[in-house]
Amino acid sequence: MRQSRHRAAPAVLVAVLFAAGCAQSETKGVSGLPPTPWVSRAVPEAKGDFKTLPDGKRQALRYRGWTTEDFGEYRTYAYDDSRPAMAPGRGAMPAVAGDPKKGRSLFLARSLGPCTGCHLIQGDDVWPAGNVGPDLSTFGDRRLPDEYVFNMIYDPRHIFPNTTMPPWGTAGVLKPEDIVHMVAFLKTQKGPLRPEKDSERNPETRPKPVGFGDNLDSTNNPAVIRAESAESLWVRKGPAGKSCAECHPGGPLQAMKGVATRYPKYVAHYRRVMSIEDFLTVHSPETTGAPMLAQSADNLDMTMLVKMASNGMPVAVDLASPEHRAALDRGMANFNKRVGQRNHACADCHASGKGADRFLGGRFLGNAQAGLTRHFPTWRTSQADVWDMRKRMQWCLTPLGMNMLPADAVEYAELELYLTSFDKGKPMSVPGIRH
Amino acid sequence: MAEIGRVRIRIPSSIKQGDVVKVRVLVIHPMEIVQRRDGKPVDKNYHFINRVVVTYVGKEIAQFETTQSISENPFFSFAFKATEAGPLKVTFLDTQGGRYEGTTDIKFS
Repeated sequence: MRQSRHRAAPAVLVAVLFAAGCAQSETKGVSGLPPTPWVSRAVPEAKGDFKTLPDGKRQALRYRGWTTEDFGEYRTYAYDDSRPAMAPGRGAMPAVAGDPKKGRSLFLARSLGPCTGCHLIQGDDVWPAGNVGPDLSTFGDRRLPDEYVFNMIYDPRHIFPNTTMPPWGTAGVLKPEDIVHMVAFLKTQKGPLRPEKDSERNPETRPKPVGFGDNLDSTNNPAVIRAESAESLWVRKGPAGKSCAECHPGGPLQAMKGVATRYPKYVAHYRRVMSIEDFLTVHSPETTGAPMLAQSADNLDMTMLVKMASNGMPVAVDLASPEHRAALDRGMANFNKRVGQRNHACADCHASGKGADRFLGGRFLGNAQAGLTRHFPTWRTSQADVWDMRKRMQWCLTPLGMNMLPADAVEYAELELYLTSFDKGKPMSVPGIRH
Repeated sequence: MAEIGRVRIRIPSSIKQGDVVKVRVLVIHPMEIVQRRDGKPVDKNYHFINRVVVTYVGKEIAQFETTQSISENPFFSFAFKATEAGPLKVTFLDTQGGRYEGTTDIKFS
């Protein structure tokens, strides 16, 4: 191994780790075992930690502008979270008179659903509505009994066991009186429909987003310039007196060529699946001595620099080794696991035949099976910042009412491996540019 | 930050003689502004690009006067008529005497 290190310097890291990986799987047979607990090396706002306020309430530490609410009572993706899925509940329909006006404003309320994120209703002020769920513009014509509609909103799983729709009543998001008003409102939704003034109002006729042009053009994607700044990071000596360049000669483009195509991968030394981001959090302090916390600017910049060395090369993650097969199984299980206050699974929004390639409000939902990973980290035009996939996952899940896991959690890494499996063979193109 | 003064110019991949060509230029620059408190400058050590000069085959075809209100790593886009083959040069001048140039060759296909 020492020899190969000198001879094939550019691929040092991977060669060493790969060899070590084989050795361990033969001797210890770690395949299928859950990964060992991991100490997070993420910046504070990415760790999923909490602080206790003077009044004893717990407040989540999250990125600026994100909710600080604690969703601790709902289950998460954590492998040690063995709580069962939220049991279907039933609510008694209160004997109040439904007010269609109140019902409509509840239907549109951003702080609750909003229901219009998935369902279209009548009205020019309804914008942007989504089409993950059925169009309800003529729902009243179906003359369904009030009690049936009430139960459908309270907890639809009694009627449709595998529905994407959250159990609004059981989860406590909507009060029974609220639902009565909404039932009254839905009865008013009757045909015939007036012609649309704006074809973009209806998600079925709304044009699909076309993207933001060439993501590798530095005059188009600000993330490219950010990634280039990591070139100075590459040669900067850390507290241990060494820089990346000393062990990986030839410049980052040569030394890291093709490396990123094999990530996320099982790293035997740490006994877990890691993305480039995860690996840097431990590899940097162990070699140069410089910290490179998950979600820190240094970590993101270096990840982009490493991944850019593989641009154009096909994703080549290992799907066959025992460790990867076990990790893929766990990642797939989490993709389909119902979590959080909204009782959603990733698959609800990102699997073909469910929400994928449809609108959630104004947002067009990506299709996991078509591959969502090979442009990360990506510039987000709506945030004017670079996000890696972990932050994207944390953002996806926080509004759904789930406490986030640390950015470098094993659960996220294996979910990322599962998502990356759909990109196998497709060319990498980092950094991306997305809304 | 990437190195200051690095200029990138993007032009369409295929240009015909007489085309109106859209040029995109980006320069790496901090564009530091004048810090003021109560209307008085507290830090006069400002550093921003105040002039951009475009020359085409040796002739000056455009000049932009820019201020501190332009963002870090400024991006400019303009159009010109490609009448002959030759170099298109964009020069950025800043308040501290910095001079940054980028050149691209206009070729016809």
